[in-house]
Amino acid sequence: MIDLSVQIGNLALRNPVIAASGTFGFGQEYSQLYDTSRLGAICTKGLTLHPQQGNPGPRLWETPCGLLNSIGLQNPGVTSFVKEDLPKMKEMRLVVIANVWGNTVKEYGQVVGKLSNTSIDAVEINISCPNIPDQPITGNQVARTAKVVREARKACKKPLWVKLSPTSEGSSLQLARAIQAEGANAICVANTFRAIAIDITKRKPVFRNIFAGLSGPAIKPITLGIVYELSLALEIPVIGIGGITNWQDAVEFIMAGAYAVQIGTANFIDPFCGIKVIKGLTTFMENQSIESWEDIRGCAHQ
Amino acid sequence: MDKIDVRTAPVIANDQVAPDTFLLRVQGTFPAKPAQFYMLRAWGINPPLSRPMSIFNRTDKLLSFLYVKQGQGTHLLARLLPGDKLVLFGPLGNGWNQQGDQIALVGGGSGIAPLFYTAKVFGKADVYLGFHAKPFLLRTFKQVAKQLYISSESGENGQKGLISNVFQPHGYDTCYACGPYAMLEALHHTCQNAGVPLFVSLEEKMACGIGACLGCVVRTTQGLRRVCRDGPVFRAKDVIWND
Repeated sequence: MIDLSVQIGNLALRNPVIAASGTFGFGQEYSQLYDTSRLGAICTKGLTLHPQQGNPGPRLWETPCGLLNSIGLQNPGVTSFVKEDLPKMKEMRLVVIANVWGNTVKEYGQVVGKLSNTSIDAVEINISCPNIPDQPITGNQVARTAKVVREARKACKKPLWVKLSPTSEGSSLQLARAIQAEGANAICVANTFRAIAIDITKRKPVFRNIFAGLSGPAIKPITLGIVYELSLALEIPVIGIGGITNWQDAVEFIMAGAYAVQIGTANFIDPFCGIKVIKGLTTFMENQSIESWEDIRGCAHQ
Repeated sequence: MDKIDVRTAPVIANDQVAPDTFLLRVQGTFPAKPAQFYMLRAWGINPPLSRPMSIFNRTDKLLSFLYVKQGQGTHLLARLLPGDKLVLFGPLGNGWNQQGDQIALVGGGSGIAPLFYTAKVFGKADVYLGFHAKPFLLRTFKQVAKQLYISSESGENGQKGLISNVFQPHGYDTCYACGPYAMLEALHHTCQNAGVPLFVSLEEKMACGIGACLGCVVRTTQGLRRVCRDGPVFRAKDVIWND
């Protein structure tokens, strides 16, 4: 029997394939296609303290091998999630990673507080949404991020993951070390890239917020590079996200040091992508006689 | 509800029926109700998204799509030859149901696509088609329409002007429409004034096609709704127009 399981802090996953936040709703839609409990875990749509409408359209724009989105955290709010969506997810035996956004530092603590005593399995803090305009940043980014993580950590009995921006001011390493120092249990690398597209017939940006978030295969080598660097320097596990579309991509991330991977945009390329990656990884382990991910995790560093 | 699945089917034909407009036929038995759609792709990871296309026709042996060659995806679709493989994800969306006996179907531009299969399933519906340029597929539509009305910029084969101006809702139990937002909004006002219920099938860019990503939402009187999942068919009076 091939063992795909992985331990992320004190959370055990049956395999290292996770559905990325914002691409998978609360798991209900994809569950019409396959048994989504076969995935390692599911990261929920980003949750806020109050319900949010998100951004006006357009919300989607394609680029070569990439996708720009400007959804803007449309969600029912954390209270409704706990009452309506979480029970359905748990009934389906899903491993639930609740993705959290706060409009202020304090709000992060409040949202996490509302999740801390529920049946979720971990919290993933989103500190870097490119689709929320005019984010008031007080002080430098490292100091603010540390404050957000500290606030969430105080309110959180669950494992705490932090999802990094791929375009942080200064070094990602400095930011990641600060996050680790504040007691995060894992770092997810990375969110979408802050990016724009211009409509040349209208002579203005495509999106009303001007900036949107770039995802998809186009960004894979860049986030792979950040995973490679951070996993060398950090004690806590790194989870790779960015343009993973097949099992070979997932193996690259694991060899770069990732404990697990998240699949986002590739769910749109092929709705069965997650399941196919798990199958591919199983065959890979079998063929290569790999007994545990530890055998190859970070092997590219040598 | 029909099981949603991803299937690969061989192309039977991909015929140009007008400048930049193609009728793509694939082999196989596919479930679908009128105004439902499939996400189509015939390429690898670029462009990342599949293309939502409403069903032009289905039989026990084939499924067909009418599309306009416009962007990258439809340019790639237009290159398909008989024997090539098409990947289909569906059937998706709610589709529409027949209400009443006196039915009008109104389509403009590529919005004529779902009306053939609708007319075939509903039976005895009057069909109104609006074209930019020279009208096409008229003999095809005549097979399923009780009465066929045509409009175009030149007035060839019918009347001159917009189909939303040609169409008169009086005497119909229900009206069903697909086309540009401006056309649908004009029809909404016409039908509302006449007291005729209007169902509209909306078009938006989509990513997941099943309601997970929230990329295709529209504002309605009941809040934000997903065109792919809660639609594409909405009651016109529920849609917030000029949004």
